[in-house]
Amino acid sequence: MMPPVMAETEETRDGNFFDAAPYRLLWRFFRYARPYRAWVILALCLLPLSTLLQLWQPLLIQQAVDQHLIPGKPEGFAGLLFLFVCLIIGQFVVGYVQTAINTLLGQRVVRDMRRELFAHLLSMDAGFFARNASGRLTNRITNDTEAVSQMVSAGMINLVGDLLLLLGVAGSMLFLSARLSLVTLVAMPVIVLGTMLITQKMRTTQREGRLLQARMAGHLTEEVEGRETVRLFHCQEKNRATFDRMNRDYLGTALKSNFYEAFQFSFIDTTSTLVVALLFLYGGAIRVESGITIGVIVAFIDYIRRLFFPIREISGKFTTMQSAITALERIFALLDTPTAIADLPQPRLLAQPVRGEIGFQGVHFGYGEVPVLRGIDLHIKPGERVAVVGPTGAGKSTLIKLLNRTYEPQRGRIAIDGVAIDQLPLAVLRRMVGMVQQETFLFAGSIADNISLGDPSIGLERVRQAAVETGAMAFIEPLPQGLQTQLSERGTNLSAGQRQLLGITRVLAFSPTILVMDEATSSVDTLSERLIQEAVERLLDRRTAVIIAHRLSTILHADRILVLSAGRIVEEGRHEVLLQRGGLYARLYALQFQEK
Amino acid sequence: MHSQSSVAQPLKQRLRHILPYYRQNWWAFLLGFLLLVATSATAALIPYLMKLATEALSDPAGNGDLSIFVFALILVALLNALFRIRSRTHIFAIGRQVEYALRKAYHAKLLALDADFFNQEKTGDLVSRGNNDVLAVRMFIGPGFLQVANTAMVYAVTLPVMIALNPTLTLLALLPFPLILGITRLLTNRLYRLSRAVAHRFGLFSAFVQESVAGVAVVRAHARELDWNQRFAHESEEIYTAQMRHTRLQSLFGPMVVLAGGVGGWIILWVGGQEVMEGQLTVGDFVAFFGYLAILVWPTVGFGWILTVLQRGLAALERISQVLDTEPFMLLPPAEAGPVSAFHPLPARRGGIVIRNLHFAYSEPVLKGVSLTIPAGSFIGLAGRIGSGKSTLLNCLARLYPVAPAAILLDGRDIMSLPEWELRQMVAMAQQESFLFSATIRENLLLGRTDCSEERLWEAAHLAAFADEIRQFPKQMDSLVGERGITLSGGQRQRLALARALLMEPELLLLDDIFSSVDARTEATILDNLHRIMGQAREGGGGVGRTTLMVCHRTAALHRADRIYLLERGEIVAHGTHGELMENSILYHSLHQQMARHEALESLQ
Repeated sequence: MMPPVMAETEETRDGNFFDAAPYRLLWRFFRYARPYRAWVILALCLLPLSTLLQLWQPLLIQQAVDQHLIPGKPEGFAGLLFLFVCLIIGQFVVGYVQTAINTLLGQRVVRDMRRELFAHLLSMDAGFFARNASGRLTNRITNDTEAVSQMVSAGMINLVGDLLLLLGVAGSMLFLSARLSLVTLVAMPVIVLGTMLITQKMRTTQREGRLLQARMAGHLTEEVEGRETVRLFHCQEKNRATFDRMNRDYLGTALKSNFYEAFQFSFIDTTSTLVVALLFLYGGAIRVESGITIGVIVAFIDYIRRLFFPIREISGKFTTMQSAITALERIFALLDTPTAIADLPQPRLLAQPVRGEIGFQGVHFGYGEVPVLRGIDLHIKPGERVAVVGPTGAGKSTLIKLLNRTYEPQRGRIAIDGVAIDQLPLAVLRRMVGMVQQETFLFAGSIADNISLGDPSIGLERVRQAAVETGAMAFIEPLPQGLQTQLSERGTNLSAGQRQLLGITRVLAFSPTILVMDEATSSVDTLSERLIQEAVERLLDRRTAVIIAHRLSTILHADRILVLSAGRIVEEGRHEVLLQRGGLYARLYALQFQEK
Repeated sequence: MHSQSSVAQPLKQRLRHILPYYRQNWWAFLLGFLLLVATSATAALIPYLMKLATEALSDPAGNGDLSIFVFALILVALLNALFRIRSRTHIFAIGRQVEYALRKAYHAKLLALDADFFNQEKTGDLVSRGNNDVLAVRMFIGPGFLQVANTAMVYAVTLPVMIALNPTLTLLALLPFPLILGITRLLTNRLYRLSRAVAHRFGLFSAFVQESVAGVAVVRAHARELDWNQRFAHESEEIYTAQMRHTRLQSLFGPMVVLAGGVGGWIILWVGGQEVMEGQLTVGDFVAFFGYLAILVWPTVGFGWILTVLQRGLAALERISQVLDTEPFMLLPPAEAGPVSAFHPLPARRGGIVIRNLHFAYSEPVLKGVSLTIPAGSFIGLAGRIGSGKSTLLNCLARLYPVAPAAILLDGRDIMSLPEWELRQMVAMAQQESFLFSATIRENLLLGRTDCSEERLWEAAHLAAFADEIRQFPKQMDSLVGERGITLSGGQRQRLALARALLMEPELLLLDDIFSSVDARTEATILDNLHRIMGQAREGGGGVGRTTLMVCHRTAALHRADRIYLLERGEIVAHGTHGELMENSILYHSLHQQMARHEALESLQ
């Protein structure tokens, strides 16, 4: 059964099948089946067996009619019956195993492909995620791979089987009577062309229908989400007309597809009956001189029925493959996108213990064409606490994001303990540089998991300890399940203050050497504010820290304040000194920090 | 599940929303049924003709008859195809027509329902009812009818013929059939449940991927990629397991049907074969039996399948009915607002507001007895902290939610008694987070208008200080704005929404914090424009301009307001001009200072 269509996506469209490039994609795709070679081989081996089982049955009936029924000889009939029942049961077993193997292969290959895609996605840099809509990326992993799995399950392998069956039927017919086969041969082009044509037509209208269905779903979604606007502007009538047009178009397509479907349904039945009629006619005419038996005629009737099945299957599979190939194209395109920020082949390690000294030398950075940082030179001593202030857009958050290589500077060098950070293994660097964001992103899951992020080296005891240290335990403890309390997606069942506390606890649990922090601007009540400040103090203890300051206490307690403006450090020093200078800092202070 | 509560309902009650379609189309159903009868009758003739042809072929003397049978066969086969195609398209078309009508009714209902209803429902769910549930109902009506009628017909025609040929053989050959029916029924039911489980897993899986992509920065910042890969491996394993559980059963389906048919054939071969050898049965009868068996297999499978479809169709219908049975809030009869006819001029529409002791609550009270009088033509500011009830007040004025009778009067008329079209002509609103449709700028601007000159369009854009930017878009007015206007900046969205509201030329303009993403200079331009056009006296307006009510989070707008109302915890705690409030209200003073500070900080850039 098709999955329900909820919205129009690029996945509902299909590409052109008659390009050359798709077959390269398929070839690349086959690599994914390699771990399951044994299954593939088994499935391939079953194909001739299944063909044999199917084709033998009409032969047996022919034999029964000609050798037992008509002459009235019961000798050996029991053996024939036994063989026949074996064939039926064999066909059942083989048919079941084949379908199961196909689906198993499809699912396994897709599972592996999904894992590779996901791992690749996680390794991508921040710029990549800024460029690509998250919905589209999710689609690559969920729906595109599903289309590929359908291709495998629906029978890339069975395609071979269908061809085999087709040849087998033709062969058996020739074997029984070459002359009678001629009749079928004459009908063959009609059968093949007719089936192919009607199947293609049917699929096209069906796809058209799905597209329209997706459009209607999209329209409904927008209308429900924008219902207040619809009401305010009294455009119900207009919307009704728009929707009615789509609904009507859909009806039109549906009626067309109904016809094709009904036509296909009857085409096979009727054509096979017509061929049988021809068979009788021709058989009657040539019977005397060619010695065609009744049994042969009966067997032919059976074979003709079996002839249509693989033809229909083959043309159906082509369309499934079309969608899968376009999906593969998108999947491989994603896999082939390299990450901009990766480990060196032979990264360096820092001497232990890490002191936490930071150096910026002539660092330039811009998002695309827009320059953000224009020449930052900075030296931070181990254990020093630096506050960064400046107007919006001065480059403050970019500055701290360069420190854990969320972004890579276009020019200049950033070093920790004298070693350039791009020489360090990313994992080591990011464990060393803890980052507290303005908004704490929480995952659906337990509080403990959100603090440890599933790191086995951070046990429950360490989590508890960190929560106690930051004071987060004060609100966690009273919860019925304590640290095991489940958070809803994005932690919406917590208050803003609680989320911030958890964010701080999380970083503390990872005990980084260097801390970078973007203080939250969102206002919380006074009590939470005090709790958060205490937690931050605990976190900053004996660590090198760079903080984008939004709180008065932060700038007052900083060893040094950097004033950033338009991507440059314009003032630098302690609070009192800067205030006396009466420059940008003094103005910022008056507007932002005083009285808060 | 909703359907459980309804099990006790009589069928007629459950079908109430589609019964009218049955009544309207009863002749179409009848015709469909007759077509099915013709289809079955011709279909049953085919094996019989084959039997005759086989017998003619076996008889060395009777070759003359053979060609008659063959031509009859061809004729009947063609007739059968004709009937079959006609009956299927005809009956499916009824289902499609009903689907169309039901979807139309559902959509119309959604348009009529209001906030109270939507606040309780999820968007995805409502969309799914309009799409997938309507589809399930169609399956109930079209294929459902066809399959049931067809199975009945096929049996009614074929069975007597078979029994006439050989009752014992018929009985024996059909032995596996109850099994087919039972197994199909069992399988489709369980498969449905398992496929629901797969869909559920798939939903969880998608949610996990979505969340991971959204939170990738956190994963990266803590170097937890390895662990996330493991979690993903687990999730993908789960979905694999669910799929395989489904597959194990699904794979049985096809082979099982073939097996049952095969066993039937085997019995014919065994028992029938013996009878042929004993001379009790002709070879022709034997061939015919194979043909009849083939005719009966698929309708039997189809019948087992259709029972599940019917069950699902009923559940889907129930879900649709819930929406169709919901009623929007009632307006007061317009009579209470005084008689309006062609001979009585419409009451003057000027945009004067009287609010009397307005209370409003979502789940907790938000407005607690707001009373105020706003003379037509004035420019009013609403100030207050976040959550003080400003937006709610505007929503009530725009009748997005129902209010008590006589709580809000617009030009002396209770807004609960104004017909929708009239209210929307009088009142326009630009919301805080205005919703834009994924269409062109033009279509978004023309939302509430059907006729509007190009000039007007540009003028409105110009008033909202958006025209110059539109000119810079490659396709100008015909540029697409993307889903929810994603290709526009926040400020552009706000100005587009303002232009859209201005284009309605309302008597009362409600603006909810529309400058939050607009820079100060543009804001000043827009305010000037607003002042000018809203201050212009209009025809039938009694010499005064139109009314503007604006939620302000910035100082410039407050300074220009004729009067400012200060809200605090759902009550109006002070009002007056900016100057008066600065002197009299500490709350206003501190709010204003906060805004001024914020704006000064912004201007530092």
